[in-house]
Amino acid sequence: MSAGLAESPTALADRGELALGLPESYLAAGHTLGSWLTSTDHKRIAILYAISITVFFFLGGAAATMVRLELFTPKADVVGADTYNKLFTLHGVIMVWFFLIPSIPTTLGNFLLPLMIGARDMAFPKLNLASWYLNILGGLLTASAMLAGGIDTGWTFYVPYATVFSNSAVSLGVLGVFVSGFSTIATGVNVIATTHTLRAPGMTWFRLPLFVWALYTTSLIFVLATPVLAVTLLLVVAERAFDLPIFDPARGGDPILFQHLFWFYSHPAVYIMILPAMGVISEVITCFARRRVFGYTFMVYALLAIAVIGFFTWGHHMFTSGMSPFAALVFSFLSFIVAVPSAIKVFNWTATLYRGQIGFESPMLYALGFVGLFTVGGLTGLFLASVPIDVHVQDTYFVVAHFHYIMVGASVSAYFAGLHFWWPKVTGRMYPETWAKFAAILMFFGFNLTFFPQFIAGYLGMPRRYHVYPPEFQIWNVLSSSGAAVLAVAYLMPLGYLTWSVLFGERARNDPWNASGLEWRTTSPPPRENFLGKPEVLAEPYNYHPEGAPPVKDQPRIPAQGSLT
Amino acid sequence: MSAGPTPPAPSGARIWRRALLVWAGLILLLGLSCLAAWAPLGGWTSAVNLGLAATQAALVAVLFMRLDEAGPLVRLTAACGLFWLAILFTLCLTDVLSRLANA
Amino acid sequence: MSAAEKLLLREPWDGLGLPEESALARQRAGATFGIWIFIASEVLFFGAIILLYTVMRLEHPDAFAAAARETNLVYGTLNTALLLTSGMLAAVASRMNEGAGARRTVLWCLAATAGLGLAFLAVKGIEYREDIGRHLVPGPGFPLPQPPAQLFFAVYWFATAIHGIHLAIGIGLVARLAILGWRDPAFLPDNPQVEVSLLYWGFVDIVWIFLYPLLYLPGRAG
Repeated sequence: MSAGLAESPTALADRGELALGLPESYLAAGHTLGSWLTSTDHKRIAILYAISITVFFFLGGAAATMVRLELFTPKADVVGADTYNKLFTLHGVIMVWFFLIPSIPTTLGNFLLPLMIGARDMAFPKLNLASWYLNILGGLLTASAMLAGGIDTGWTFYVPYATVFSNSAVSLGVLGVFVSGFSTIATGVNVIATTHTLRAPGMTWFRLPLFVWALYTTSLIFVLATPVLAVTLLLVVAERAFDLPIFDPARGGDPILFQHLFWFYSHPAVYIMILPAMGVISEVITCFARRRVFGYTFMVYALLAIAVIGFFTWGHHMFTSGMSPFAALVFSFLSFIVAVPSAIKVFNWTATLYRGQIGFESPMLYALGFVGLFTVGGLTGLFLASVPIDVHVQDTYFVVAHFHYIMVGASVSAYFAGLHFWWPKVTGRMYPETWAKFAAILMFFGFNLTFFPQFIAGYLGMPRRYHVYPPEFQIWNVLSSSGAAVLAVAYLMPLGYLTWSVLFGERARNDPWNASGLEWRTTSPPPRENFLGKPEVLAEPYNYHPEGAPPVKDQPRIPAQGSLT
Repeated sequence: MSAGPTPPAPSGARIWRRALLVWAGLILLLGLSCLAAWAPLGGWTSAVNLGLAATQAALVAVLFMRLDEAGPLVRLTAACGLFWLAILFTLCLTDVLSRLANA
Repeated sequence: MSAAEKLLLREPWDGLGLPEESALARQRAGATFGIWIFIASEVLFFGAIILLYTVMRLEHPDAFAAAARETNLVYGTLNTALLLTSGMLAAVASRMNEGAGARRTVLWCLAATAGLGLAFLAVKGIEYREDIGRHLVPGPGFPLPQPPAQLFFAVYWFATAIHGIHLAIGIGLVARLAILGWRDPAFLPDNPQVEVSLLYWGFVDIVWIFLYPLLYLPGRAG
């Protein structure tokens, strides 16, 4: 690369721009592929993760597109039963383990955690890089299972189907997920150790931004739940590859035990997806309402409570599995409890908005969309936590709609909110705001059009995981598939305009949103060392107005400025 | 976590003496486990054997893996592992035992 | 001393702006904390295997007692003693490594720890050969009449193999320290990697301490 490029603060900056004498950014610290693939800089690893999860997102999205295309009509006209099974399995496996679980923690989390606590890097930078390679290795293994003929078990790999009967490439796919599990454990160890050991002077536990708390609680789940999944999947491989009798009921095994072990991980995994999302939303809503977060300590305790209580509720996935009715009762009760901290969060975000000077920039639009979609997803979760309703709608599209509201509606909206919010910090560039607003609104409408009809179809009794259905459900499926088309456009748009902004966008100021966090107190994009001096924290987080001051009436809100000058 | 001044390291002989003492205790417990397995304890055999194993594990964790000198953070981490394991066992066995009781 | 500390100090701890000694102390504390988080994770990993065993045994108590009688108690007990001894040497190495005085002892202890680990694997290999010779592998030709007895041996093979893999990783880690420390006198003293590797070793010991009574001792009396 030429010397002129290396001197500019961002590697991709226009050479004709004025030299500002800013320190060299992390983007300019090396331009070769090798400098990225061997970097232990948490910011570069975050970019590596962002690229890989984007690839997986569109791979899983392609499978979903095929599924929705098939469901447009009641008859089988695009794919057959077998291919359909493989498509929804591919969609589920890729989206859960290679997009949703790593999405926010490894991209935004990796990039922002050291910046937010005033550290130079993660506690174990090499482990951080290793976790990306493990993730890629796992992804390649799982993707190669698709080339080896695909997997037809569904993302849950339920036994004895997955171990005794399925003739598809289950072992390969499962091994891929197993490997990626160690990637998330590595990330979890890193986040916990970093938060404990590398906080800047003055950054006490109750001054941490809620996003850091969210990452910390997510990492608790990473570390404590993932190993159980790893063993469970290894047992599936052992039963398939070595014919060991483990879960096979014909040989005395207990297939319900598989479900216990699987959901001990996979229920908290939902909280892996939603807790970081809650963290992002807390940052965005406070910034664009210009208010301190309402009830900071309660928000912290709610995050911790969700992470811990989330481990007590897995059995609500198993009410119809043959589990004992006594256990079903216990799990149902415990599942209702976890709604309490979730509701606290929704109420506190709403109270934060109250009498704030609310701006409707694109990150805020995504964030407000999150609150609505999360509320719908959470409330329908309560339906499913009560045994009689769950028995009625088990394995129907009601369940599909419910978890998509949480995992896609809420989590992905939050991911996009965070992506837009911190994009200027990550790339040093502003994106075209009008396009972004349009994409945010389109995503909200597309999402609801896709998944709300599924609640109705499911409640009326349409089962999931079939490629054909009785004609009376067609109206709901046509609505849903049309919504999916809208949603696809809304997901593709950011890919276009964000890429455009990296090349042609306006230079971002250090703090384009007038936000309060420590991550904004450095250049955009930050230098390799993150801060110019040694940061020290003197105030509470979300310092948007004096403590205890009532909201200021009738003051025009200073609009955020994108321009450097 | 002790980032402050560390106490002077104990002498080599003391380290050896202590370690050998713990080792002798562990081997003794191992012998006891073997004896208990053959002893006519009825339904208590497994409980006694697991109790002996838990004692051995505690000795290794506290004295060999140095939880005795570790700070509160490390002790809390170890306790978290056990607590979450307890969640897994308790709720899973709630189902299995109540299923067996009604079988 | 200072040159050695510079050698050991890694990013991001070198950027804290602290004096080298206290930066290294924080790095060591961080490394110890990190491996303990991983150990907590591993507790759940092996705990899930033990839960699998527990549920199967609750469902088939008699078959499990009959099957456990077939394991070789001599090899099992010998291996337990080997690992307990290696755990003691690991603990001595870890403590002796604080301060620069005892490099030879530390090296010797590390080598002996890895050697005992290898001896464990060798005994395990002999035991495996005997088990296979007696057809104690689930499938056709399995000697015991009760079908659930095969479940016991499924867990036996799975758990001992996973433990063996963990032990092999531990041997690799400890042997690496011994070789690097033997080549470079400045490598071992005060190096946080020593305690990290030996804590992992201790955990693998503990796993075996629980596997031993579960796999070898049931069904012996009466």
